[in-house]
Amino acid sequence: MFTYVIRRLLQSVVVLIIVMLITFTLPYFEPNGILAPAYIVLGTHANPQNVHAWGVANGMFHPYWVRFWNYLDQVVVHFNLGHSYKQNLSVWNIISLYVPRTIWLALSSLILTVIVAIPLGIYQASRRNTIFDYAATGSAFILYGIPAFLLGILMLQFFSFGWTHLPASPPSGVAPWAMFTNPAGFILPVVTLTLLSIAFLSRFMRSAVLEVLVQDYVRTARAKGCSKGRVLIRHAFRNALGPIIIILGLYIPALLGGAVVIESVFNYSGLGIQIVNAASTLDIPTVLGITLLVSLLTLLGNFLADVMLGVVNPRVRIQGSSR
Amino acid sequence: MSTVSEGLSAAGLPASPAGPTTNLADVDASKEIVPLWQQRLRIFFHNKLAIASVIFLMLVLLFCYAGPLFYHTNQTNQALALTQPFNEAPSAHHLLGTDSSGFDELGRIMFGGEYSLSLGMLAGVITIVVGTLYGMIAGFLGGVVDTLMMRLLDAFLSIPLLFLLITLISVFSRTTVFLIVIIGVTGWFGNARIIRGDALLIKKLEYSQAATAMGASKWHIIRRHVFPNSMSNIVTVATFSVADAILFLSTLGFLGLGIPAPQTDWGTMMQNGSVQQSNGFWWEIYPTALVFVLVIVAITYVGEALRDAFEVRLLER
Repeated sequence: MFTYVIRRLLQSVVVLIIVMLITFTLPYFEPNGILAPAYIVLGTHANPQNVHAWGVANGMFHPYWVRFWNYLDQVVVHFNLGHSYKQNLSVWNIISLYVPRTIWLALSSLILTVIVAIPLGIYQASRRNTIFDYAATGSAFILYGIPAFLLGILMLQFFSFGWTHLPASPPSGVAPWAMFTNPAGFILPVVTLTLLSIAFLSRFMRSAVLEVLVQDYVRTARAKGCSKGRVLIRHAFRNALGPIIIILGLYIPALLGGAVVIESVFNYSGLGIQIVNAASTLDIPTVLGITLLVSLLTLLGNFLADVMLGVVNPRVRIQGSSR
Repeated sequence: MSTVSEGLSAAGLPASPAGPTTNLADVDASKEIVPLWQQRLRIFFHNKLAIASVIFLMLVLLFCYAGPLFYHTNQTNQALALTQPFNEAPSAHHLLGTDSSGFDELGRIMFGGEYSLSLGMLAGVITIVVGTLYGMIAGFLGGVVDTLMMRLLDAFLSIPLLFLLITLISVFSRTTVFLIVIIGVTGWFGNARIIRGDALLIKKLEYSQAATAMGASKWHIIRRHVFPNSMSNIVTVATFSVADAILFLSTLGFLGLGIPAPQTDWGTMMQNGSVQQSNGFWWEIYPTALVFVLVIVAITYVGEALRDAFEVRLLER
C-alpha cells in the first residue's frame, strides 16, 4: 500500500510539473508578443521605454528555461503566483479570498450528490426496466442535455421569480461560513450543481451495480438464501464502489467547471467569477494562477480517489495504478 | 432484402470478386448475405427514437440554414436593429418578438443556430481527428512513447476543460475561427484515451500480428487494421464530441466569452435572454433554450443508438 501511494504521488507531481509548463508556456504564444501584457498594465499608449523597463523588471528577456525555473521557484517555494494586472492584489491573495467559497459550493454539492445518486443508482439497478427506472434514466438523459447555466436560469425562474421566492443569490462578501449563517441563499446554487452531478453519477452507479449483479458470487449468495436487500448492500454496493470512486475522481474537473458557471448564474463571488472577469479583462496572471490551483485540486482529488480505491479494492494496490 | 452479392449471382457472375466460386460461396449465395454496414443500419433504424432524432436534427439544420431564405430578417446591422422596438412581444410582424437590441428573435435563432451548429461540427471534427491520431499513435507504438504521451494527456486532463478554455481565450484573441480551433484542440483528450484503448487491443489481435509477421509497416497496420476496426468507437465518440463542442461553445457564450457581437450563438442568446428573465420576456429565452436542449438530447441519443448499432453482440448471426 505504501509503495502504491508513493508511486501515485510521484506520478501526480510529474503531471503537476507538466501542467505548470503548459500554463507557463501559454503566454509565449500570445499573438502580440511576450511584451503585450505591458500594454495592459501600463495602458495602450505606453511609452516604449517604459514597456521595455517593465519587461526587464519582470524578467521577460531571460531565456525560456531560466524563466521557467524562476517561475517554479516562485510558485513552489514562495507560493508567489505573481501580481494581478487589474486588481491591486497578488494572485495568491485573490485565490485565498475566493477559493474557500468555491470549495464550499463544490464540496457541499458533491456530498449531496453522493448521498442521493448512489442509493438512486442501486435502486434503479434493482428495479431494472420498470417505470421508475425508465423515468429516472429519461430525466437523467434530459438533464444531461441541459447545460449548467440553462438549468440555473430555469431554477431561478421557477423557484426565485415563480412558485417560491428563494433568494436568487447567496449573500455577498467572502465569509466562508456564510453557508451556515444564511443557508437560504445557498439552496438554489447547491441544488442546481447537485442535480447536474446526480444526472451524471446515477447512470454510472446503475450500470456498475448491474454489472456486479450478473456475477457468479451474487448468484451463489442468492442460492445460499441471502436476501435480495442483503445482496445489494453487501455484494453489489461494495463491488460497485470501485468504479464509482474512479468516476468521482474524474468528475472533479467537471464539478469545478460547473461551479464556474453556477457562480456566474447566481452571482456568487468565487473563483469562477474571478477567472471569468480576469479573462475578459486580460488579467493573465490571475487566470493562470487560478487555472494552476484548480488543476492542483483536480490532481489532489484524483490522487485521493486512487488511494481510496486501493483501500477498497486490494487488487488495485497489488497490481499498481488503475491506469 | 436484396443485396449486391445476390444481384451479382443473379446476373451469372461470381458472388465473390476473388475469382471462381467455391462450395463455400455457393452456400453463402443460397443464404441471404447482409453486409455488415447494412446490418448495423438496420439495427440503427430499428430504433424509432433514433430515427426521430435524426429527422429532428435534419429539420433543425434546414431551419437554420434554409430558414433565412424564406424568413428575411436583419441580423447583422446593429444600427438598423436599434430602430426596431426592443423586447417586443410576439406578433404577426415579429413571430417570436424582438430581443433587447431590436433583433427579430425567430431570425436570431436561425442565425445563432448557424454559428452554434457549424462551430460545433467543425470543432467536433478537429476533436475526433486529433484524438484519433494521438490515441492510435500512443496505443500502437506503446512503450516509452505511450507512457510519455499518456502522462502529457494526464496533465491536459487535470486542467478542468472550462478553465483551460478560459485561459486560452484570455491569452489569445477571440474570433470565430479561433473559437473553433480552441474548442477543437481542447476537446480531444477523452477521445484519445478511448481510441488508445482500441489500438492497444487491436494491436494484440491475430490479424495485426499476422500482418506484422508478413512484414507490414506500422503505418500500414494502423491504416488498414487498427483504424477500420476502431471505426465504431470513432463514429460514436465523434457524435458525442459534436454535442460537447456545442455545449462548451454555449457555455462560453453564456460567460460572455463567446462569439463577439453582432454575430451570436445560442449560448450568447440565452445569456442575453436571462438578463430579461425577471421582466417576464419569455420569448427571449425559452424558444432558444428548447431548440438547444432538444438538439443536444437528439445528438446524444443518436450517439447512443450508434453505439448500440456497432455493438457486435446485437448483430444477426
